[in-house]
Amino acid sequence: MNEWVDVRGPSVEMAVSAGLEALDLASADDAEVEVLQEPTRGFLGMGGQDAVVRIRRKPAAPTNRNRSRRGGRGSGSSTAGHSSGRRSSTNKPDTAQPSRGRGGAPASQKQQSRPAQPKASQSRAEKPSRGGNAVTKRDDDDREEISPEDQAAEINRFLTGLLGAFGLDGEVTTRVEDDVIYADVTGEQTEALVGAKGTILQAVLELCRTIVQRKTMSGARIRLDIAGYTERRREALRIYTRRLAEKVLAEGGEVMLEPMNAADRKVVHDTVVDIDGVRSFSEGEEPHRSVIVAKEDD
Amino acid sequence: MKGEIVEKVVAYVTKEIVEDGDAVSVTIVEDGPDEVTAEVRAAKPDMGRVIGRRGRVAKAIRTIAQAAADEEGLQARVEFID
Repeated sequence: MNEWVDVRGPSVEMAVSAGLEALDLASADDAEVEVLQEPTRGFLGMGGQDAVVRIRRKPAAPTNRNRSRRGGRGSGSSTAGHSSGRRSSTNKPDTAQPSRGRGGAPASQKQQSRPAQPKASQSRAEKPSRGGNAVTKRDDDDREEISPEDQAAEINRFLTGLLGAFGLDGEVTTRVEDDVIYADVTGEQTEALVGAKGTILQAVLELCRTIVQRKTMSGARIRLDIAGYTERRREALRIYTRRLAEKVLAEGGEVMLEPMNAADRKVVHDTVVDIDGVRSFSEGEEPHRSVIVAKEDD
Repeated sequence: MKGEIVEKVVAYVTKEIVEDGDAVSVTIVEDGPDEVTAEVRAAKPDMGRVIGRRGRVAKAIRTIAQAAADEEGLQARVEFID
């Protein structure tokens, strides 16, 4: 029952509320939420991204209304210091590995299907699917957990078929690293699948996600590159950052870049680190978090 | 045939998304010299998948359909028919 669902939306709030709806939960208090990706407008207007949150019913919640202690871990700041914190890989839905839960609760119960009982479920009581109550969303009762490797294979198959349907020559490679699926479509003709500002690429990515999520509750994160577009974009960001850093070095002060997603911010930080005399840090709340490049005080 | 790639691509993608692939049909209607509409039909229970939450999937399919149309120098629209 306690599978994680990844939900996208234009904002974190909207993604969360969609997720709550999907899980049949009344309020966010009943859920654990992990923000996988903040929404951004993208760098220089390119490739803005939706918010992605990973959400699930709070594990082992007692049936009463005053939601006692938070089911052990991962649900908020009160557990932040704990070793199996919110972002640790033990939160991954497809790993049945035990989390070193403190307290008495056996870690396994968080993964196990247990007979559904908590509140939001009664309305769907007619569906005794083995997935339990968190999976009562109309159309996904039969979805299983699939390893990232298998998801990658599925994406590979889909993308290869897509090239075929388009009649484009190209090659698809996929790999899994740290539970992230990297899909790379290469070949000169595959440029046709990038689109202005990567719009087609984004649509293809969306379909990859849809297809994976059709089969499994636990869609892994997917990074898609087509015809080297994503990498070129990243390189453009590096060049831009270097230019900016030089300007800061020459003129002093600090410069705030436009809001970016975490991946892009990392590109900026990684670039600035290699330049003597400047430093970078992020400021602001997601989704408007921005990198600031500043001259190192000496 | 005009819109052949559009048809192929839209049919492929839609079949990937639905449960009942056999029930998917895509018909190309010529609206003008450079314009086609792809009419997509699928089994009733699958329509929700094809549209997606807040129309996300439908939007992606439309974008892909236009990408396919670009290959033929066409404008493509996609209609999802219940």
